Amino acid sequence: MPLQPRANPLCRRLIIREDPDAASTYIADYIVERINGFEPTPEKPFVLGLPTGSSPVLIYKRLVERHKKGDISFKDVVTFNMDEYVGIPRDHPESYHSFMWKHFFSHVDVSPSNIHILDGNAPDLEAECAAYEAAIRAAGGIELFLGGIGPDGHIAFNEPGSSLTSRTRVKTLAYDTILANSRFFGNDLEKVPRMALSVGVQTVMDAREVVIIITGAHKALALQKCIEGGVNHMWTLSALQLHPHPLIVVDEDATLELQVKTVKYFKSIESVASGLGFGQGLPATARASSRKPLPIQTDPATIAAPKSVAASGDRRRVDSILQSPTTAEELMRAPTPELVPDRMSSRIEDGGVGAGVGIGLKGLVVGDLENERMGARVGV
Amino acid sequence: MPSAINPSPTGITKLTNCRLIKDGRIVNEDLWISAKNGKILDSQEVFYAERATADEVVDLGGRLVAPGFMDVQMNGGFGFDFSTVPEDISQYAKGVKKLNKSLVQTGVTAYLPTLPSQKSEVYHKVLPFLAPSGTSRDSSLGAESLGAHVEGPFISPTKNGIHSPSVLLPGFPNGIADVEACYGVSNLPWAERQQDDLPSPIRAITLAPELPGALDVVRELAARGLVVCIGHTEASYEVAGAAMRAGARMVTHLFNAMRPLHHRNPGVFGLLGTDSPLPSSPIASSPSSPSSSALDVSARPLPAAAAATPQKPFFGLIADGIHLHPTSVALAYRAHPRGCVLVTDSMALLGLPDGTYAWTNGERITKRGALLTLDGSVADSATTPGAASKSNNDTAAATKSEEEEEQGERAASPGSSAASSPGSSASASAPDTPRKPAPRIAGSAVTLVECVNNFAAWSGGGLAAAVGCVTGAPARMLGLDGVKGGLEPGCDADLVVLGGGEDGGGEGGGAGEVWVEMVWKFGRRVFVRGEGGKEGE
Repeated sequence: MPLQPRANPLCRRLIIREDPDAASTYIADYIVERINGFEPTPEKPFVLGLPTGSSPVLIYKRLVERHKKGDISFKDVVTFNMDEYVGIPRDHPESYHSFMWKHFFSHVDVSPSNIHILDGNAPDLEAECAAYEAAIRAAGGIELFLGGIGPDGHIAFNEPGSSLTSRTRVKTLAYDTILANSRFFGNDLEKVPRMALSVGVQTVMDAREVVIIITGAHKALALQKCIEGGVNHMWTLSALQLHPHPLIVVDEDATLELQVKTVKYFKSIESVASGLGFGQGLPATARASSRKPLPIQTDPATIAAPKSVAASGDRRRVDSILQSPTTAEELMRAPTPELVPDRMSSRIEDGGVGAGVGIGLKGLVVGDLENERMGARVGV
Repeated sequence: MPSAINPSPTGITKLTNCRLIKDGRIVNEDLWISAKNGKILDSQEVFYAERATADEVVDLGGRLVAPGFMDVQMNGGFGFDFSTVPEDISQYAKGVKKLNKSLVQTGVTAYLPTLPSQKSEVYHKVLPFLAPSGTSRDSSLGAESLGAHVEGPFISPTKNGIHSPSVLLPGFPNGIADVEACYGVSNLPWAERQQDDLPSPIRAITLAPELPGALDVVRELAARGLVVCIGHTEASYEVAGAAMRAGARMVTHLFNAMRPLHHRNPGVFGLLGTDSPLPSSPIASSPSSPSSSALDVSARPLPAAAAATPQKPFFGLIADGIHLHPTSVALAYRAHPRGCVLVTDSMALLGLPDGTYAWTNGERITKRGALLTLDGSVADSATTPGAASKSNNDTAAATKSEEEEEQGERAASPGSSAASSPGSSASASAPDTPRKPAPRIAGSAVTLVECVNNFAAWSGGGLAAAVGCVTGAPARMLGLDGVKGGLEPGCDADLVVLGGGEDGGGEGGGAGEVWVEMVWKFGRRVFVRGEGGKEGE
């Protein structure tokens, strides 16, 4: 049964690369492969979720390179961005519109009618957020959501303490985020936007695949909390433990706080798989929208696996806001090779835990916490 | 979620894989331009707000893109002379049109047609044809007149250069009325105009500020929105400073036709050594006013001078290797980099084969490459001691040019004329220079891009700075920053794509020569080298 891990629809992947450059290249190449494998058309575009920030800059650079080489077209790619500040002009150099234009959109053939970025100057911000969720649904859900995290483990503007079942909404920025961002606004706290529009944790979790880049020693603690710690709204990315198809790509520095066995385990998964001629791609069964499985991804075990799971599961997740993304059906899992102490996997393997987390969270996430929650986090 | 492909053309062109020459720096950026409004676009805003993309993407293969060149002193070219009145005046209009189409191929997209001193009737006849021609924003018309530059006749009879002494006027006994009488009041901005009339033909006036009544006239002209240039003058440093305080803005072909720098009287050149920089925005604006007002896109009244110290002027330099020694060019540039404006002072013979040609007033001009001399003329060393030494240098340069001119290249072909070869004039003051009487230089037959190459090699400022001297600087001088001479969104999409200019390491004269590959006017491509142009290579 050495091929079993590849057939596992619940493949969780942590890829460790030497430096940010290599990690970014891995992700960019992965995205290129995914989009090309998807064979998008105007009628069936590839829906891509996109982040801003310092971490993804190198990924965009590499994507642009691949585009200029002719390896990839974004013509039939629909994009949804994670977040945008409230109340700064769209052409402000620090706006996320400007970021996306500067680093990505201006260099590729993406159609302006296919891109979506939240409008932080909309007259009715709540309506803007609701419309955004509706637009994602109308696009058929997000196929792949790319993201980064902050040093406190936040994804998008889902600061510590945000609801793990949150949807796109208006967010008040945490005080230390305002402090950290003031460097982009002439070190003037008054000029830093206080609010942002942001997709929710659940919006990200609804994507059929979530790809996260984490690089640098300053994010090592966040990585540790998010994959070795429990699912916890103080480290919002930890919700990823409940996602069926996460891919986290990190550099060596980011692993500093991880246990040695965690690092070794994930490295061994990759080396074993590649030794057998497999990459760390998404199992063909999970490519809900692919018209046909990619030849390089097929193996007998994959074909034998249940086919309709992901597709039906996805649709259901889109419709149901609060439902846990995991289902009993998806929890079918084959044994991992060797190295049993896999904390994330073992947690999910117990169907009761997933449900339990969902129930437990309901009590925790009445609403987003106010700024003083930052003080609470210091104690964690 | 079908992605809507824009079925209707947006008129947008995206220039990509290019290096933009922007504010004295070379940056790797795309440029979006619109053929619909003829302007450079804020690409991000177009993408997000109008959801529009480019109809056409032009890959420039890493070439340089500069704003369209501007020449604020140009007497003619391609066989047409702005000062020659034909029997049939309709031929004059045709000649201007033809010149515009030829001129644009040299990278000059906007210019001031210049008239050396003439009889009053010539101004009355021809100025209406030289009015700003860009109002229709028709790119097929070629280069655009920004209005005429009248150089004289209110100039010094002893610094007349090749201006005919018989037509010069001695001063302004009647003040501004003398100006109106000379050029015709209908050719001046304050003339009453019908709504659909062309704008005022005259944009700039070169005069000698030491003439009687000149300073009051300078004050009056500047207040009424004309660019006043100091030139063909015997003015001392003090008089020149007074003219600056009165509102003068520029020095016409610095060093030429004026007193040379003397350590006890620095003359007009001394203005470059004054402390207060020329303001690019009105001095009077209160510090509390929002800074964005300085970035206003529309043309605005030129700032009036008020400071006690004369402001530093803009100054024209003819960097043809004949009118100026390379060191003089570098000296002036380093004294006041922001004020440096390269001009050609080109004559009708620009773009014509070498030979001897008839000129106005029955005189003749001989063309050899970029060098033009007035036949039979000899510099009057008795009355103009400064000019004598200058002329000797000029002769030296000219002799050298002749030697190198054996190849017989057109001035318009890129990087081929002797004038554009950096070393030719630098070594020109060699002892074997013949000391025969020096003929007077009669303007030049140099193209602006050759001046740019020369300047880049001589000034030490590099190519980007040289391009700034034919784009941003003349635009600022004319009060057109934000409209012309820049690559910022909102500027007119007048562009020159330059070949060559290989990166020689930035600072210094390392950059190789450039030539005009492509020209865009109002967002449309109007010239591609090798496609029906005169370029033969």
